[in-house]
Amino acid sequence: MTHTGKGLSRRGFVGLGAGVGVAALIGQSVFGAQAPCGALADGATFAYGTTGYGPEMDDAGLNPHANYSGWSCVRYGVGETLFKFSDSMEPESWLAESYEFTDDTTVVIKLREGVRFSSGRAMDAQAVKECLDDLLAVHDRAPLDLEIDAIEADGMTLAITTKRPKPALINYLCDPYGAIIDMQAGVSADNNVAGTGPFVATSVSDTEIALVANADYWGGTPSLANVSVRSITDGDTLTMALQAGQIDASYGLPYASYALFENPSFNIESCETSRAFFAQANYASPVMSDPAVRHALALGIDKEGFVEVLLNGRGAPAAGAFPSNFAFGNDTVSAPAYDPEEAKRVLEEAGWVDSDGDGVREKDGQRLHIVWLTYPGRQELPLLAESVQFSLGEIGFEVEVNCTANHTSIRTDTSAWDVYASALVTAPTGDPEYFFSATCVTDAPKNFGGYSNPDLDALAEQLSEEFDTGKRAELATQMQQVILDDDAYMFASHLTMGIVSRAGVSGIAPHPCDYYEVTAGLAVA
Amino acid sequence: MSRLSNATVRKMVVFAVLAVLLVLAALFAEHLCPYDPYAQNLREALQAPSEAHLLGTDRYGRDMLSRVIMGGQSSIASTLVCVAVVALIGTAVGVVAGWRAGVLDTLLMRTSDVFLAFPGLVFALAVAGVLGGGIQNAVIALCAIGWPKFARIARSQTLAVCDASFIQAARMQGTKGLALIVRHVLPNIAGPIVVCAVLDIGTMMMELAGLSYLGLGAQPPMAEWGSMMSDGRSMLQTAPWCVLAPGLAIFITVLVFNLLGDTLRDYLDPKKKGSAS
Repeated sequence: MTHTGKGLSRRGFVGLGAGVGVAALIGQSVFGAQAPCGALADGATFAYGTTGYGPEMDDAGLNPHANYSGWSCVRYGVGETLFKFSDSMEPESWLAESYEFTDDTTVVIKLREGVRFSSGRAMDAQAVKECLDDLLAVHDRAPLDLEIDAIEADGMTLAITTKRPKPALINYLCDPYGAIIDMQAGVSADNNVAGTGPFVATSVSDTEIALVANADYWGGTPSLANVSVRSITDGDTLTMALQAGQIDASYGLPYASYALFENPSFNIESCETSRAFFAQANYASPVMSDPAVRHALALGIDKEGFVEVLLNGRGAPAAGAFPSNFAFGNDTVSAPAYDPEEAKRVLEEAGWVDSDGDGVREKDGQRLHIVWLTYPGRQELPLLAESVQFSLGEIGFEVEVNCTANHTSIRTDTSAWDVYASALVTAPTGDPEYFFSATCVTDAPKNFGGYSNPDLDALAEQLSEEFDTGKRAELATQMQQVILDDDAYMFASHLTMGIVSRAGVSGIAPHPCDYYEVTAGLAVA
Repeated sequence: MSRLSNATVRKMVVFAVLAVLLVLAALFAEHLCPYDPYAQNLREALQAPSEAHLLGTDRYGRDMLSRVIMGGQSSIASTLVCVAVVALIGTAVGVVAGWRAGVLDTLLMRTSDVFLAFPGLVFALAVAGVLGGGIQNAVIALCAIGWPKFARIARSQTLAVCDASFIQAARMQGTKGLALIVRHVLPNIAGPIVVCAVLDIGTMMMELAGLSYLGLGAQPPMAEWGSMMSDGRSMLQTAPWCVLAPGLAIFITVLVFNLLGDTLRDYLDPKKKGSAS
């Protein structure tokens, strides 16, 4: 499992008909596009509006050992993990100073000195062991990812033994569920925790987190005294709040809104992430089991048009599962480019012809009709569906879009869909293994289309035992090429995450892993 | 005929002509569209109104004018179907209840009271939510909430005429049952029902657009005014024509039908006729 529910705004339902139109026009003339600039008054609170926090995202509260709440714990500067990702997604030290694999299944981690929890307790190996033991006992994903057998604490040194060789263990420890909290202080009734980060939460609710600076922070005192993280789930509300100066920075603006902030009154910080928007073919469907149909479908997705126009250029057309900044990214694989003429030729050759002149091809009495299953929770997916519906229609497909929040139950019924388009963070740990084991290998939990290729399974086996990073990247490239050559998975684009703040705000920017947002460096000039 | 009623007739004719023009535009939408309302052209997305695209283009590069014209077809046709259905069902129920006093009357009227007790659009939301998206389901939902109003009007009108002397005369001539209702009752209660139906067109259109706006009516890529407004909502500040074009279409259409209903009421109102002559 990874996170499919983070980030950008869903299409919210905020009002009725013309009323909204009129209200928003009035809003425009009253608020204008100018936000007030300048420093925060003494004691004033820095307001951060985000579409990424709340029960709908499964990350309400700050307890890293529950659901995806670890994301909130790390994102808003309360908790820190042993290792963190660099901008190129390599693990680097954070609460840990260094690590060493003493054999295939044992890693010895040396902790940073002088770190204190906000409860006052000093962080040592014993405290970390207590936290990780609880994580393994209560969390749903962590025990399966980490496969830890035993943890031994000795002063500031931690020895972790895994059940089998675990080359990506350090990467997995960067996952926000690995945020280190003081288990003696525990988790409060409102899901607050004592972490080691630059900020301490004073109140936590499903809609807002109030933060104050941690004066004892090991990395130096943060420059802001008070920060408020506010959940604003509707993209248009978020846009207008930023225009009106009610918030100082925002996460998850709708694509169409960016044009309003491309002026000196605002900063736009962008970063390519490994969240991919992709489609998987249903091998149980009679139409999709024809390789020619899958290949024509892959040729019929206008990725450039989708990214440049529908996402306002705020994304990157994808070839494979991983973005270009990875060693095993887009540039290392080859995928079909948009070519409607070639798609028509492929279908023609395979015997799919439009014999009754209705614009839809047939073969042996079967119409080239596909059901495109997707969901509205990510604003990109309905746009992709509607664009593909037309571009495939030109080729001779008849595409029925089923865009529903109920997709999780429908996708398990292979008779109800032909193509399933979804969003997934393909490399949450900076390592390629997760994507294949979760989505592509035979009987993988997210392999909803029943795809199975023995070559891929063999490569996956090899990957799970390979310690050398360079060789892992090579294997990941080969594996992507296998699924692309089968036209089993089609990657449309990778998300470019944006954080927009008013002029004068510095030290807040999106990160390729989408984890770190509020940091000690956050400042207002 | 006096001057006042002449003016009323003139107004009514003007609005009737406008309404007929709207309906004709909806009927022949395919031939009026300058472009294919469903043809995407991403290279021409979000163009401001210009000579080539009088109302601009939406985010998929589709011509807004063509989509507004095409949207009229689904919006106006579904609204008219909807109003016709509720008027027929409501009138039938009302006449039966008014004609057959007693248990049946009580049963039918209490049922309609139950429906009237729900806030209209909220009930329609629930029905459309259960049935799922799609314009047919939105029409069914609106029909489910629309009929009681007509039932009440038809019943009270039926009660008023059922003891009238011309009904008694018809009875004495041997006319019975259904024939009596069709030949003598319905023509005499039709006025208020027609006025109510025409006035209802505007409301129905707004509610249908409201359901589509919320994603419970027309589904993409179908051109429908409510869903087009919902589609363009996030571009209100950057490409306002995406919302204004379908919004104006709703505004104008609803206005025309409401004014038509108003003048029709003035025209058919016996009191006004009397005072004017």
